Amino acid sequence: MPSASEPTTAPTAATAPAVTLARRPVGRIVPAVAVLVLAAAVLSFPSLAPNPYILSAGVVVLNYAVLSTSWNFVGGFTGYISLGHGALAGLGAYGTALLVTRAGLPSFVALAVAALLVAALAVPIGFAALRVRGASFVIVSIALVLILLLVFQSWASLTGGSRGLVVPRPFPGLLRPEHHRVFYFLFAGLLGLALLAWWLIDRSRFGLGLKAIREDEDKAEALGTPTFAYKLVVFVVSAGFTALAGGLYALWFGDLDPVFQFSILTGSYMVLMALLGGVRHLFGPVVGALVVGFALEYFKVEFGNTPLHLVATGLLLALVVLFMPDGVLPAIGGLLNRLSRPTQSSIREVTAAQLRDERAAASAAEGTRDRGDAAAATAGGRPQSTRERA
Amino acid sequence: MTEVRSLATANLTKAFGGVVALDGATVTFRHGQVNALIGPNGSGKTTFFNCVTGMIRPDSGQTTYRGQDITRRAPHAIVRAGIGRTFQLCRVFPRMSALDNVLAAVRPAGLVGQLRGARARVEVDRAWGWLTRLGIEHLADVEARTMSWGQQKLLELAGVLMSDPETVLLDEPAGGVNPALLDRIGTLVRELNAEGRTFVIVEHNMDLVMSVSDHIVVFDRGRPIAEGPPSLIRTDERVLGAYLGV
Repeated sequence: MPSASEPTTAPTAATAPAVTLARRPVGRIVPAVAVLVLAAAVLSFPSLAPNPYILSAGVVVLNYAVLSTSWNFVGGFTGYISLGHGALAGLGAYGTALLVTRAGLPSFVALAVAALLVAALAVPIGFAALRVRGASFVIVSIALVLILLLVFQSWASLTGGSRGLVVPRPFPGLLRPEHHRVFYFLFAGLLGLALLAWWLIDRSRFGLGLKAIREDEDKAEALGTPTFAYKLVVFVVSAGFTALAGGLYALWFGDLDPVFQFSILTGSYMVLMALLGGVRHLFGPVVGALVVGFALEYFKVEFGNTPLHLVATGLLLALVVLFMPDGVLPAIGGLLNRLSRPTQSSIREVTAAQLRDERAAASAAEGTRDRGDAAAATAGGRPQSTRERA
Repeated sequence: MTEVRSLATANLTKAFGGVVALDGATVTFRHGQVNALIGPNGSGKTTFFNCVTGMIRPDSGQTTYRGQDITRRAPHAIVRAGIGRTFQLCRVFPRMSALDNVLAAVRPAGLVGQLRGARARVEVDRAWGWLTRLGIEHLADVEARTMSWGQQKLLELAGVLMSDPETVLLDEPAGGVNPALLDRIGTLVRELNAEGRTFVIVEHNMDLVMSVSDHIVVFDRGRPIAEGPPSLIRTDERVLGAYLGV
């Protein structure tokens, strides 16, 4: 009596019906269209931007998008909320700058080497930080930022301290608008790379294990997932991408100051953007970066040089969190599903219909099965399962 | 039936502050049988499970599985050795579909295996097989948090079985479960045992314990006080004393 609802099942390995694997048609087409629209919008922006200032704002937003997507490797998959990722970006920035100025490496070689070094450094950092969960992890991640801020401010002979560190431009001949354009596309490329990596992990067994950690870490461990190794690996990947974004920013901006590089605010922005867009979604952080980045720039223009733009942005965030607690993208997805209901029924509805059929079939067969079980019980034999393990 | 050692402990001790939960517990469960672990509330049964599955470190003592020392191993390594478990307060991944809950028990090997799609056909069919066997395949796409308690218990078991454990530890499988489902769980345990899986069951429901077990170990105050087949345990003076406080 392995299954009460299906008295007659083939004695072969059960095969999942296609409906389980196929996503809702809406859930397949809409993202594809959205990706194309997003990619087209991102790539055409430099030609549409009316002046270099707007273009540079675009670079800043893309930088946010890469940072936030990089953060989401840890935050989205495992649910560990790191406020310290700003420090990893800062390390990438200073690493790149110092490798250019002190070691004389070519700019982009320095960027790659710095990212690898930060990824390597993320192993001991993760080893210490990922042992604690929840609020403790958040505190430890903040501590990382504060410690590095002190180090980079005090070690002036290496880092230039509060006087800052000038990073040589990788393309000295380029005029300012052209410089922004080139870096815009470099950031777009890096964003594409980060999204691809996130997507690959999201659909993989490794990703499912990470999500299991987010849901219930002890349970995941008890099911055989080496949780610590999983967390550490994804933390290192996240640190590598974050450092790439930081390093690219250093090459673009050309000037580093510890106060801005090792700021709690950077990490907080990454978290806010990801939460705003939706941490469970590939494009959540990108959407969040667009919303926050646009809001910051827009309110800056509206309110001039006052802190009012921060207040306005804060209000916007409060509204979104209040009405879309899972983020913007899941809210839009839910809306689309509701709108498309007349033509497409959701899996749940199909399931409910199947359930009714099965119930009807089961109640029809109830009598015969009960008699069969009773006979088996009185005969003293255990009913052998007809369903083999696959 | 020939007796082969399955899960065994020697002098397992664990104290939480001043409370001694396990007091030098020396227990041997039998391979290929349905073993039950019973005892009054607070007698250390769940602590025992947590110690042998690596969820908490014992203060002293040793755990072996089929002769291998597994005392200091991490929980996931103990799963790899062939021991799966369910939790007293049934634990599933709440915001995952039932199918993903079961698929999460797949243990991939190597980098390529890790990065392969989580919904590979072979694994999905195997997961579907377990969902079907437990009678919850119609809920495959439903998020676990929206399922009923009984369905969640079946789902948890499906996940544990997906990891293909040779020995299954069940912590109160009958807790909060209706009589019809209880029958089904009992039948399932016997079937899976007939297919070669060893069981260790912590349970308060004596009807279930007496009907499914081959071998019963009785705990009181963190150590075994009696063991034997159901017929003996039912009439054992020490067991009655522990339960009734005589």
